[in-house]
Amino acid sequence: MTLTVESVNSRIDEICADYPVDEASLIEILHDISSEYNFLPADALRRVSERLDVPIARVYGVATFYKGFSLTPRGKTIIRVCKGTACHVRGGDRNLDELQRILGIGAGETSEDLEYTLEVVNCVGACAMAPVVVENETYHRNATPTDMKRMITGEGSDEDEGGDE
Amino acid sequence: MPEIIIDGRRLKCEEGETVLDVCKRNRIEVPTLCYHEAIESWGGCRLCMVEISHPKWPGWSNWVTACLYPVQDGLVVGTNTTRVRRLRATVLDLLLARCPNSSVIQKLAAEYGVEDTNYEPRLDGDNCILCGLCVRVCDEVIGVTAIGTANRGASKEISEPLKEPPVDCIGCAACAYVCPTDVIQVIQTPDYRVIWDRTFDMYKCVECGISHITVEQKDWLIAKDNLPADYYDLCDICKRKHTAEKQKELSML
Repeated sequence: MTLTVESVNSRIDEICADYPVDEASLIEILHDISSEYNFLPADALRRVSERLDVPIARVYGVATFYKGFSLTPRGKTIIRVCKGTACHVRGGDRNLDELQRILGIGAGETSEDLEYTLEVVNCVGACAMAPVVVENETYHRNATPTDMKRMITGEGSDEDEGGDE
Repeated sequence: MPEIIIDGRRLKCEEGETVLDVCKRNRIEVPTLCYHEAIESWGGCRLCMVEISHPKWPGWSNWVTACLYPVQDGLVVGTNTTRVRRLRATVLDLLLARCPNSSVIQKLAAEYGVEDTNYEPRLDGDNCILCGLCVRVCDEVIGVTAIGTANRGASKEISEPLKEPPVDCIGCAACAYVCPTDVIQVIQTPDYRVIWDRTFDMYKCVECGISHITVEQKDWLIAKDNLPADYYDLCDICKRKHTAEKQKELSML
């Protein structure tokens, strides 16, 4: 996916048109941009700064402040491995190791084909299902390294998911 | 008019003043790092912490930042109590861990008995204590907001937007001027100034030829304050000379 300044600018103009020209619209607009591109392109931030008449320094500050925003491209599938206490105790690390091995990327990295982003999170609030791995919006409960392999390669059916180790 | 007691001294103050304002006026020393009289107080460095109590709050006291706490009648303030000194020592211990090489922090810490930090010193970092004065002076006083902060928590830093030379910067170097630990580098030559990885041409006084302002800053100020185009043709010293000569002429008349 190549992004030209023109295409980004026109898309940002469309997004900005839905919101009042006010500094208070900034986060909502950044959310929309993030859903559109899966990350916040630098050109998009520049355009938002112009459109809202908010200094780029402040836009950048907000964009980097929140964990939910990324300034580097992220994969179509974002895999979040929980390493909170419960998941850690129940072997979340093994799932992370397996994912790193299969995908060939480290935690916090994105695969070169922009298919996968691997993230480590501290708690997703589903400790009873530990260890938990979240694939976009899907929560994989009692996840095992075998489940991870199945999740990525698609081998085996989803029916097995969540089975006991 | 409210009256407060600082370190046993009964002092008159104005409504709406902060404890630090009163201390400054009465030459009571309270250390600060993120405070500047031209910039709105922020309470970021936590060094100006003082102990407060009030006759109406029997047996109760609290620690507050002097730079933000507004005076109220009857307030009793201790600026150098054992507890305050201990609290500041902790703050300076942490700052020393962040900036072990900063002579400003070393000196302040030593005044509070901290020679070596009890925490893991950050050896590869710069001397930035994240007081935010540079960002706030650029925003509030200069009005260009060329720089800001990036990230948060332990990875928070002062940063140019998008990590590129800041497009809005006018090269005034106010950020470097207010920086308490001299982190922001400025290279100054008679013809140009380099700051934040950008090079600014200097504007020279038509009379003495001294470089007194960057071209961008001159243009910005003229536009912002609606000044005559030749307002910055003379440097401050030559301007003063002219005024003095004019006054001399007038007095001879």
